[in-house]
Amino acid sequence: MSQPVVHIANLNLKYQSKPVLQDLNWTINRYENWLLCGTSGSGKTSLAKAIAGVAHSYGNIKIEFNAQSNLPATVYYVANWFQFKDLEGQSNFYYQQRYNKQSTETTATVKAELESFGKKHALQFNELDSILAALGFSELKHSTLIQLSSGEHKKLQLVKAIWLKPQVLILDLPYNGLDTLSRQNLNALLEEISEAGTQLILISNDDELPSCINRFAVIKEGQLVEISADERTGNEFDTLDQPVPAFLAETMVTSSSAEIIKMIDVNISYGEKRVLKNINWEVKAGEKWVLQGHNGSGKSTLLSLICGDHPQAYANNFHLFGNKRGSGESIWEIKKRIGLISPELHWYFDPSATVFQSIVSGFYDSSGLFCDPGYSKKVQTDELISYFGLDEFKNTLMNELPLGKQRLALLARTIVKNPELLILDEPCQGLDQQQTKHFNRLVDGLCKNGTTLIYVGHFESQLPDCIEKRILLENGAVKSVENILESVEIAESVENVENFEY
Amino acid sequence: MSNYFNTLPLREQLNQLGVCDFMDSAEFLDGVNVLKGKKLVIVGCGAQGLNQGLNLRDSGLDVSYTLRKEAIEGKRDSWKNATENNFTVGTYEELIPTADVVINLTPDKQHTAVVTAIMPLMKKGATLLYSHGFNIVEEGMQIRKDITVIMVAPKCPGSEVRAEYVRGFGVPTLIAVHPENDPEGKGLAQAKAYCVGTGGHRAGVLKSSFVAEVKSDLMGEQTILCGLLQTGSILSFDKMVEKGIDAGYASKLVQYGVEVITEALKHGGVTGMMDRLSNPAKVKAFEISEELKNIMRPLFQKHQDDIMSGEFSSTMMADWAAGDKNLLAWRAATGETAFEKTPAGDVKIAEQEYFDNYTLMVAFVRAGVELAFETMVQAGIKPESAYYESLHETPLIANTIARKKLFEMNRVISDTAEYGCYLFDQACKPLLADFMTKVDTDLVGKNFNEGKDGGVDNRTLIAINEALRTHEVEVIGTKLRKAMTAMKSIKTA
Repeated sequence: MSQPVVHIANLNLKYQSKPVLQDLNWTINRYENWLLCGTSGSGKTSLAKAIAGVAHSYGNIKIEFNAQSNLPATVYYVANWFQFKDLEGQSNFYYQQRYNKQSTETTATVKAELESFGKKHALQFNELDSILAALGFSELKHSTLIQLSSGEHKKLQLVKAIWLKPQVLILDLPYNGLDTLSRQNLNALLEEISEAGTQLILISNDDELPSCINRFAVIKEGQLVEISADERTGNEFDTLDQPVPAFLAETMVTSSSAEIIKMIDVNISYGEKRVLKNINWEVKAGEKWVLQGHNGSGKSTLLSLICGDHPQAYANNFHLFGNKRGSGESIWEIKKRIGLISPELHWYFDPSATVFQSIVSGFYDSSGLFCDPGYSKKVQTDELISYFGLDEFKNTLMNELPLGKQRLALLARTIVKNPELLILDEPCQGLDQQQTKHFNRLVDGLCKNGTTLIYVGHFESQLPDCIEKRILLENGAVKSVENILESVEIAESVENVENFEY
Repeated sequence: MSNYFNTLPLREQLNQLGVCDFMDSAEFLDGVNVLKGKKLVIVGCGAQGLNQGLNLRDSGLDVSYTLRKEAIEGKRDSWKNATENNFTVGTYEELIPTADVVINLTPDKQHTAVVTAIMPLMKKGATLLYSHGFNIVEEGMQIRKDITVIMVAPKCPGSEVRAEYVRGFGVPTLIAVHPENDPEGKGLAQAKAYCVGTGGHRAGVLKSSFVAEVKSDLMGEQTILCGLLQTGSILSFDKMVEKGIDAGYASKLVQYGVEVITEALKHGGVTGMMDRLSNPAKVKAFEISEELKNIMRPLFQKHQDDIMSGEFSSTMMADWAAGDKNLLAWRAATGETAFEKTPAGDVKIAEQEYFDNYTLMVAFVRAGVELAFETMVQAGIKPESAYYESLHETPLIANTIARKKLFEMNRVISDTAEYGCYLFDQACKPLLADFMTKVDTDLVGKNFNEGKDGGVDNRTLIAINEALRTHEVEVIGTKLRKAMTAMKSIKTA
């Protein structure tokens, strides 16, 4: 009864000129839903693309669709990032573009995008609303694509896939950027379509999976290796598991002001739509904050004000680093004090810069490099390249690397200048659990020198230990501000970990 | 008002044409300080106005916008652009008298009316900034003697000026001070500070003069940038259709080909572009581009002569006076060409295929760039200026064709450029009629290398490489590109 749906024999695939999959064999039988996990760069995405027929591979991939099923006989691949173009067919975007109304009208609306997708696949439009509602997407119909956050882009991809209900559905990093509630809702939807006959292949390192997932695998040395559900957290060697590089660890960060951020009744709206409502928030030098809130609660917009990325900053009353915003400072004076990473910064980063150029550009707050950085900056950059395990990719272009490696390079860029304020907006997207843990430990180490931290993360278990305060947004307003009491104990345990010999 | 250039004695004409200095980054160390705390008032809030203003404000400067009363009362797009970004907006009467620097970013055609209206309102010793010198040089606008007149011209569309700034770069920029209006000697310092405010100093700044900017800008846009790309695109498309190539394929090859080909030009000059061809194709492209240069040289020279004598601008201004009668008719005719009306086919064309199957365009681009450059330099324009106005801008214009064909190109460029482009196109097509009868699908539409053995004569190839590499546009180009390290790739479809 369990005839194979997907049968792969001797599959070979190269990424650039490096072999990624080597004589890989894999059989997926009916009623099986697989999880593909493991380290970044092992070939998960390449394998998914090969099955979906969007990457060139050698070998045999046979897909037996169920002729009796009324689901579309197709393999649908949801990519790890949402790709889109503007109305003129270009994708030359920059991450600040979504905050400026005049620059957002160049892309299609969500509604138009969904309509063209529905027409192309002859889908029932009456089924759409319930999916949109389940993922909390209904209110975004009239937004344009460039206005959406990375979590919202992910949801748009998922809405399409679930609406389509293909016989085989491959989801590459489906939980990236989703808040807790959306993850639960997504899992419920996935269970539903799996029940109705869609077979799932999930690429993810997350813990909370739909209950229908019943097989697990990793890719090792180009081959598929099945594992059990408990073996999922791998213990691969990871260069992040080292002490913080000396040039960062041994330099005290001096804050330019005792008060890093002070917002008084800050409001942001686009036409009628209010995105931030009467925000009052103070961040003092050296404080470690976590910023949380559901998708669309206003987190990115709030951070964009702090980073000098939002044009409406000039109409609001707030102080940054002791100066009133709009009192003659330039955004470059603000940015030089901040190390920023966010999903949007990553997504719109210059893809034609090398890893080295990308990291060293952190000294200049530019997307890519425009000048000769000089000797000492080069040396520090090289040190971080080694620390992040990127030596062999130093001169590789960003767009030739898998997402996880790109992310490591951009994390290095974020900290390279040892800034007084670190803004880490979902910094570990695309990393595996081990890397996440190690990166957070690095953040703990860095922050001991007086750095101020604002960290965005949906999961308590994936936050650095040094976090001591929380601000929670809901629908554009501050829902709560609180101290995290356990912080003292956690700080002590960090000390213990630091002394441990590896 | 009379043509300013024509009022000058020859030595002064040559003097002003020859102002050209690629500025060292050390010249910008003072940042925006000269303009700090000064009131900058921008007239007009279109793409250039809005985006330059956003950059200047983000650089810590005090920016507001002034619009005509009707634009404010009617809540037109320019008013929305400014107010939605929280800028102060006011009428000329409200804001001009407070301004230390008035920035005129209205279209050429409105300059005389706008400047006539604002000049009496400007305070003593204020500065008037242009981004194009046409009004001063060709129309001979006289500015009050206490006012400083400067030019800062970012060499990119407004949206790029903003995009590159927030990425931490800028776009190449040309600056100038009008020698008749620099009473306090502060013009250059202010122009440099403005450049820093828009980010231009990070991408290379060329110090020019109003005269050199106008005469070279007009020449570049009429000939290689818009004129020849239009002529070459239409002739190539028609040839392919005539020879039975699928029209959808032909449309796509022409629409995107020029962008892909000139991307190579942008990074490696004419040499880099020609090196993308196989050796036999390079030899062929060289030969036919030599032929094209000989055929088109008199036309390029005529355009340069008419620009220098003021003949071009007076003809165009007569058309302005006639309500743009010619311009509108020619624009409509361009919209009706077969290329414009045939949508790009749903076919994949690989990057290299754009070179192999469109050798003719490579030849057109080489011929046009070199001719425009040579003609400008012969007319007394410095090689650096000539480089900017020919080779440097070609990929930017090609990008507009890739977006929405010639109609888009003509929409994006100024009306002045568009007018000159049509003049060139109309004269160039008949000139090339004989040449085009000899062109077959190996040069346009099919892979040139198909059915050939790939061999070439060593000495021929060496001579060709030598000729390409030692051309003055390559020598100066190599130097300038090195100075502009912010070379960013244009994304292709």
